[in-house]
Amino acid sequence: MKKKVGIYICQCGPNIADNVDIDKIIESVSAFNDADDLEIVAKPYGLLCSGEGKDYLKQEIEENGLTHLVIGACSPRDHNNTFIGVCKETSLNPYLYKLINIREHCAWIIHDKDKATEKAIQYIRGGLRRVLYQSELFENKLDTNPDVLVIGGGIAGIEAALSLADADRQVFLIEKTDRLGGKAATFKTVLPKQQDAVEAIQLKIQTVQDHPHIQVMLNTRLDRIIGFLGNFEAEVRSIDDAEKMTELKIGAMVVASGFSLYDASTHPDFIFSGDDEVYTALQIEQMIAEKNQVTTRSGKAPKSVAMIHCVGREEVGYCSQICCNAMIKLAARFKTQSPDTTVKVFFRDLCLPHQDDQAFYNEIKAQGVEFVRVNRIATEGSQIKFTTMDENEGSELFDMVVLAPAMIPADGTPDLATKLGISLHETGFFQEAHQAINPVATATDGIFIVGTAHGPRGIQATLLQAQAAASKIRVQLIPGEQIVPEVRVSETLEAFCMGCKTCLEVCHYGAIVFDEDKGISVVKEAVCRGCGNCVGSCPSGAIQLKHFTNPQLYQEMIEAVQ
Amino acid sequence: MSFSNQVLVIGAGIAGMEASLMLAKSGKKVFLVEKLSLIGGNVIKNEESFPNLECSTCMVAPIQQAVLQDPNIETMTLSTVEKIDGDVGHFEVSVLKKARYASMTDCIGCGMCYEPCPVSLSNEWEENLGEKKAIYVPTAGSLPNVPAIEAEHCLQLSGKKECNACVEACMFGAIDLSETDEQMQLEVGAILLATGSDLFDVSQLTQFGYGKYPSVYTSIEFERLFASNGPTLGEIKIRNSDRQPKAVAMIHCVGREEQGYCSGVCCMVSLKHAHFLKHKLGDVKLFNLYTDFCVPDKTHQKFQKNIIEETQSIFHTSMKDIKVTEADSVLNVAYIDAKGKEASLNVDMVILAPAIIPGKDTEVLSRIAGIETTEIGFLGLKSGGLSTVETAREGVFLAGCAEGPKDVQSSVTQAESAVGGMLARLSSLTS
Amino acid sequence: MSTDSKSGGRIPIENGIEQTLRKVLKESLKSDLIDALLLPVKVPSGDSYAWILMQDPALVEEEASPMAAVMPVQGAKALKSLTRKGNGSLRVAAMMRPCEVRGTIELSKLNQINLDNVTLISYDCPGALPLSDMSDAPQDTEEAFMGLLSERNFESTAVKPVCQFCTEFSMGAADVHIGMADPDTSQLLLISGSEKGTAFLSATGLKVDEEPSAWEKQTDSIQKKRIQQMDKAFQTIQPMVEGFDNLADTFSNCIGCHNCQSACPICYCRQCYSDSKESSLESAYYLDKAEKRGGISLPHDRLMFHVGRLSHMSLSCVSCGQCTDACPVSIPVAKVFSYVAAQTQQAFEYKAGKTAGEAIPLKEYKEDELKKIHEMTKSAESQESPHE
Repeated sequence: MKKKVGIYICQCGPNIADNVDIDKIIESVSAFNDADDLEIVAKPYGLLCSGEGKDYLKQEIEENGLTHLVIGACSPRDHNNTFIGVCKETSLNPYLYKLINIREHCAWIIHDKDKATEKAIQYIRGGLRRVLYQSELFENKLDTNPDVLVIGGGIAGIEAALSLADADRQVFLIEKTDRLGGKAATFKTVLPKQQDAVEAIQLKIQTVQDHPHIQVMLNTRLDRIIGFLGNFEAEVRSIDDAEKMTELKIGAMVVASGFSLYDASTHPDFIFSGDDEVYTALQIEQMIAEKNQVTTRSGKAPKSVAMIHCVGREEVGYCSQICCNAMIKLAARFKTQSPDTTVKVFFRDLCLPHQDDQAFYNEIKAQGVEFVRVNRIATEGSQIKFTTMDENEGSELFDMVVLAPAMIPADGTPDLATKLGISLHETGFFQEAHQAINPVATATDGIFIVGTAHGPRGIQATLLQAQAAASKIRVQLIPGEQIVPEVRVSETLEAFCMGCKTCLEVCHYGAIVFDEDKGISVVKEAVCRGCGNCVGSCPSGAIQLKHFTNPQLYQEMIEAVQ
Repeated sequence: MSFSNQVLVIGAGIAGMEASLMLAKSGKKVFLVEKLSLIGGNVIKNEESFPNLECSTCMVAPIQQAVLQDPNIETMTLSTVEKIDGDVGHFEVSVLKKARYASMTDCIGCGMCYEPCPVSLSNEWEENLGEKKAIYVPTAGSLPNVPAIEAEHCLQLSGKKECNACVEACMFGAIDLSETDEQMQLEVGAILLATGSDLFDVSQLTQFGYGKYPSVYTSIEFERLFASNGPTLGEIKIRNSDRQPKAVAMIHCVGREEQGYCSGVCCMVSLKHAHFLKHKLGDVKLFNLYTDFCVPDKTHQKFQKNIIEETQSIFHTSMKDIKVTEADSVLNVAYIDAKGKEASLNVDMVILAPAIIPGKDTEVLSRIAGIETTEIGFLGLKSGGLSTVETAREGVFLAGCAEGPKDVQSSVTQAESAVGGMLARLSSLTS
Repeated sequence: MSTDSKSGGRIPIENGIEQTLRKVLKESLKSDLIDALLLPVKVPSGDSYAWILMQDPALVEEEASPMAAVMPVQGAKALKSLTRKGNGSLRVAAMMRPCEVRGTIELSKLNQINLDNVTLISYDCPGALPLSDMSDAPQDTEEAFMGLLSERNFESTAVKPVCQFCTEFSMGAADVHIGMADPDTSQLLLISGSEKGTAFLSATGLKVDEEPSAWEKQTDSIQKKRIQQMDKAFQTIQPMVEGFDNLADTFSNCIGCHNCQSACPICYCRQCYSDSKESSLESAYYLDKAEKRGGISLPHDRLMFHVGRLSHMSLSCVSCGQCTDACPVSIPVAKVFSYVAAQTQQAFEYKAGKTAGEAIPLKEYKEDELKKIHEMTKSAESQESPHE
């Protein structure tokens, strides 16, 4: 077929026109017209991104019957989408167009006009050659399923499920134990303001159980998932009855699998047995919830209590964020129980990062809780040895010792990550898509991580994350609306693939599967995001990225560096 | 009839932008009101963000672009909300949209108009470390990349003198000095307040010498001093001189006692600055004066460790009785050390890490929005229960630092959560 | 050398090293543990060896040349042809040079070899003799190699150039290793490197309870000398490789036969991009280039082929020297490749084929790897002698 390429050079007012000889570009690219089946239309224009400019382009495309389009103008970051939009309103497939940046790359940085012009010509010729090797790509719309699977019936999972169910989504909530509520359900009061937790949390649990859009599946775990955003299939299995498997069709997943605690008894500095008066903060919390008082194993109220912060912090490599505040809350509780209890808090750095934390701390201090900053601390039973910041050593015996062990990922987190095909952070918690700007998503579209499965955090922050994930799902999967997956995706060339599986390991999105029969890798197009990692890693050159194929890049480069 | 298809977001920082994009994607028409001439908020003032030390502009520019290009988002810069009447589903909002005097559609952002302008002004956005003209964009890379004119300083507009320099310099006829401020009425179903925060005014605490000694900086000033698009193009030079600092003291928690809370992010900012200094200057001595290191989040402690290792910063452990004095361009920082003894450091630059405090318009806004502020003065959530984004006024939501000090991650999360709250509230009206 | 304690056992050498080895191998084949052996056997004309998969114990005793003087086909290629589609239940033991074992490990990481039921046997290698020696004078070559083995000579200059500075000549990831460097020349030292290896040795009736410290000392001292040899060799190779013009000179008489690629165990692709239609351009392009330069050589991009191959496989290159053996115009391909491979592998802290557990660099991303490469490039730039 005869090819007719339109090349339009934007003057960008004086921005390009003053520093690049546009006539010379036109002359040079017109001379490209050397093959029989190629016709070039090359023209300058004042400002292509303006309303008139866009109309002009549309008219040129249709009137000249252009088969390909090259634009020499500004950075694709500014106006690539503008011109793709123009193409979409014409008969020209937008993937047969290419924007070449002759403003930032030439006009604005090269002060010698001849040299800037020469570079612009090379670039545009490269683009011209490239566009001839580009192929039409077509967007493919897919129906979606708006239902959601929530993994974990703790406070995070409950909140996500409620937020989604209230938005009329069908939610499947699986929980591996035999009850909902997780660890938070065992608290009497919650931070930051010591709100009474029992009522709020029990109410949420009740609402989940009664909700017409939530199907709760207790004693259930995830077996496997396949699919992609909008079209996942999950198999969940009963823990009691391995035969009982349920297949769920869903569009997205929220992972809220919670946390465990660092086992303080494994720490060489903390020596204690089950008979010693040594407890974790969580055990005290549960004791309060159960009998509304704290007693030693012999049933007496402790007269002196040592509270030790940051147990295992060095070992796990991070601050668990909520322990300081949780310990202060318990210190207050000891004082309420009996105001003449001696309460000593041993800490290294106090981490109180929320607006109400410090006021609370000051209040507790005023009640006579003693805060001792220590460099090192060790226990043997309830005998405590410590070194203060000014290197003074101390030793004291207490009626009760409360430890704040670090929060660590829940058991089974790595296994769940493997099943879901999502990554773990080096601390063992799940890895978010972007630490700052996309914190509840993962690299896999449609899988979200919330609560303490994401990292150490308190109830307030957990609720926020659960709500955030629910919002994201609400916005990404709208019932009845189709989604348009990326079309610039990878594909394997069967004849080249040697089945070494390198690509499977470098793909963050789980977009490549291995066809055992053929012994080759296959790309799941709907999952692929077109990052090109697999292309770069393939030792056999058997993967190409559509719109960034070897011939396309090679031809552009060869022409540009001639 | 309710206006449930339209929403208002006040503040185009990271929280406001994220919420706007999500609301737009869910089919709502979004009015995004921003008081400055550019969007992006405080994040874009940072050259690099912790903990990944990635380029903030690169991180945020795609979001800014997406906001500006979204057909469902009407971004109103140089605008302030003056009145909010009605209630959930039926808010009527008055907005004062100040004239920009440059056309958002015709201007291509080439910048030819700044040079000829005869009026030089201190650049507030650059923490007054640099200058701007009366027609200006606050910094290179501002989005929208369209200048605005400060009418009270423009010779022509303020009536001081005939001047047409910018109009003549523009090849696109994009500057129109006859433009006027506009009073606009918006009808929206729900409102998100994401107006951000300010920093504690450290000049109140005279012991730190801020304002008195030119080589005492606040952390945000230092951030702009380091920024490659900042007033010195990233060169770290002490104010009013050509000297590069050889020893720097970073003082944490300035204003914490006065404000009564820990801001949660400043330790990370100070650590980041230690890295900046070491990375750019190489041979520089660093001292950190702090009481408690607050490095929550799974990533932060590793960041702290790496940077202490990289910078060999020296950390003392008492903040009591710090006093900064200067003699012969040398700053002396006196303090009480961990053992209770008097000690001091000689440095040539001091960077103060001020507390995050409520934005200066917060009180006015709380009155306009009809909601309470917290004891500290941030915008207040609905009391009781476990509210996360709802205020006491139905249909009005909060996100980001307007609700309290936060890092980017928490601001974004709260914005995303608020979107859910808004959508839920609006759909309950229609169904 | 590895610091893990190894254990071995000894058998007396009777009727020469080769005959002793044949016996051991035969015993293993007669046991319940091994179904077949993969060994080099001299071809009928006597001037080369072929890999033979043997199931008849008698054949092992009569024909096998477990330590062959030359390496016509890299053992990893032979094993690949056997196990590419899996290995079923066939239990094979293969006897190879250390570089062949490394090639095997590398290919197993790329899913081209299945090591499930394979026992790898290696030996301290004095170096392979050049393939051309064998075709010119088969008997002399064979005797010369046997001489090296019996004299424990690891410093011969008769072996292939890359073998002379090979530092990985001893035990690597093999299951069983024969300690040819051991000072005791009256016995053969067999060392176990894995559970599989211990099982193999017990199947041949050997007691494995000795700590081979004399052997370890000896191999360490040989390795030190080899490292010196390598440093020396790299000094002479550097000017052949660094800078485009030097590299072009080194490959100037390349005839584009791609024999080096066919002989290479690591170049396993089904079709090479450089042989594909996609790498060709329209004639107009060549004409244009010829016009600009006055003339160009065809087929074009012969240097590009080598550079492409270097960039594709240098991280997995095991420096076996097959490419040089295969080159009909005597280009020192292996020297160039082993020099470049040493640099790239060092940059990623990787040694091709050395251990089975280490992931290939392509599959792994380390936070500071780019920094390291940047530093290496910088230091290379500052060291580079000023030349036009």
